[in-house]
Amino acid sequence: MHIMEGFLPPLHAAAWTVVAIPFLVVGARRITRITNEHPRTKLLLASAGAFAFVLSALKIPSVTGSCSHPTGTGLGSILFGPPVMAVLGAIVLLFQALLLAHGGLTTLGANIVSMAIVGPWVAYGCFRLTRPLGLGIAVFLAAMLGDLATYLVTATQLALAFPDPVSGFPGALAKFGGVFALTQVPLAVIEGLLTVVVVNLLTEFSRDELSELGFNRRVADDGGATLAPIQSPTS
Amino acid sequence: MFPIDQYAWTHRWRGHHPAERAVLAGGMLLIAITAPPLATAPLVVLAMAGATVAGAGVPLAAWLRVMTIPAGFLLLSLPFLAVSLDLTDGVALTVSAAGAWLAVAVGLRSLAAVSALAFLTLTTPVAELVPWLRRVGVPQAVVEIALLIYRLLFILADCADATRHAQEARLGYSTTRRGIRSLGLLAGTLLTRALARTRRLEIGLAARGFEGELRVLASERTLSRPRLAAVAALLFTVAALGLTLDRALH
Repeated sequence: MHIMEGFLPPLHAAAWTVVAIPFLVVGARRITRITNEHPRTKLLLASAGAFAFVLSALKIPSVTGSCSHPTGTGLGSILFGPPVMAVLGAIVLLFQALLLAHGGLTTLGANIVSMAIVGPWVAYGCFRLTRPLGLGIAVFLAAMLGDLATYLVTATQLALAFPDPVSGFPGALAKFGGVFALTQVPLAVIEGLLTVVVVNLLTEFSRDELSELGFNRRVADDGGATLAPIQSPTS
Repeated sequence: MFPIDQYAWTHRWRGHHPAERAVLAGGMLLIAITAPPLATAPLVVLAMAGATVAGAGVPLAAWLRVMTIPAGFLLLSLPFLAVSLDLTDGVALTVSAAGAWLAVAVGLRSLAAVSALAFLTLTTPVAELVPWLRRVGVPQAVVEIALLIYRLLFILADCADATRHAQEARLGYSTTRRGIRSLGLLAGTLLTRALARTRRLEIGLAARGFEGELRVLASERTLSRPRLAAVAALLFTVAALGLTLDRALH
């Protein structure tokens, strides 16, 4: 859910950018370290980023008939890990602004916080917590709740920027949250199902690629004691 | 696949140094979001439309197409700013003058900012903007990855398009249930393809002595002082005229 260019007041836009920076610095440091040790992971991360961008440009088959796109936050954080996802997500959001005029430069910080930081971390936490229930259920819940967390953050950002003249911040949150609940909850469920299909396909046919991404370590119930990957971009 | 990118490489000003356009767009963006929108926003939109269509020679239709999606989104979302929710006495919706003014102001500000963004995107390819991330302290590795993403995403987008067509031709999206399955297959295949392509790219680069640094040839273009002066003058005129008009309105 992108906040469009110029929609947030300058102070809010700047504040959200400041919030996003520490996460990006941590992610960028990690990427620098990994690519210094293994230069070829640069290519791996680049194709992961290109994949994330193209994924977000695909149209979701929607129940209501409106056109919508997957956020890919759940899939991304399960596949690549949240710190790396923060940087890849930020690059994808920047490219969406520059190639599709979708989102914006002044609102980039706010969009990074909702879509590249909170969404992936919620999805990842959810995935680790519900992993004992089975891979399919964990992936579904992670992708769905990651999406919902993203929408909730966006609604909060809008409500903070535009508190209701009558009922203030709670009223505005109810207003924006209500709109998102109606339009986005079905989409979150669809994205959850979609992510399950993708992960099933990948675990069936692309085990080697997944282990290259460090996926098996994240998926293993025991924290990766038995399924340590040879080389992982997030280790 | 991405019409914006096509115009960014082919317009009339492509021979000029990209910094000239970036300064113009960035300055207008700054004016758009900080100056009082009622008087300034229309001026910014006019200036940016003029620069894009009359200056850089991007077709008006292309500019309008870039502007319509955000404008449509604004039309849908602004009513929610104008309407207030009264929770004191049950749940009641009211329309207040303050809310309506806020909606108009935000709408104008956003439209002006989008017009500046549209100018930047339609006249400057991503590959020319990304290297500047180095200047704001983004590490070299991340900038290189961003540039690689830009070069890879067109190939992947083509692949996604072809797969989608094939699936549609086989009724893959005839029902929602099938659509979810088809899209899941598409995404999974896409990732597998992307990683396979990465492996081939690795082999190719290793064969050419890849040691971790990717060098690309950038065309040399000199910064033109007269054009930079013109940009500064335009920015100053829009800001000054906007502030004067705003004072006249009050």
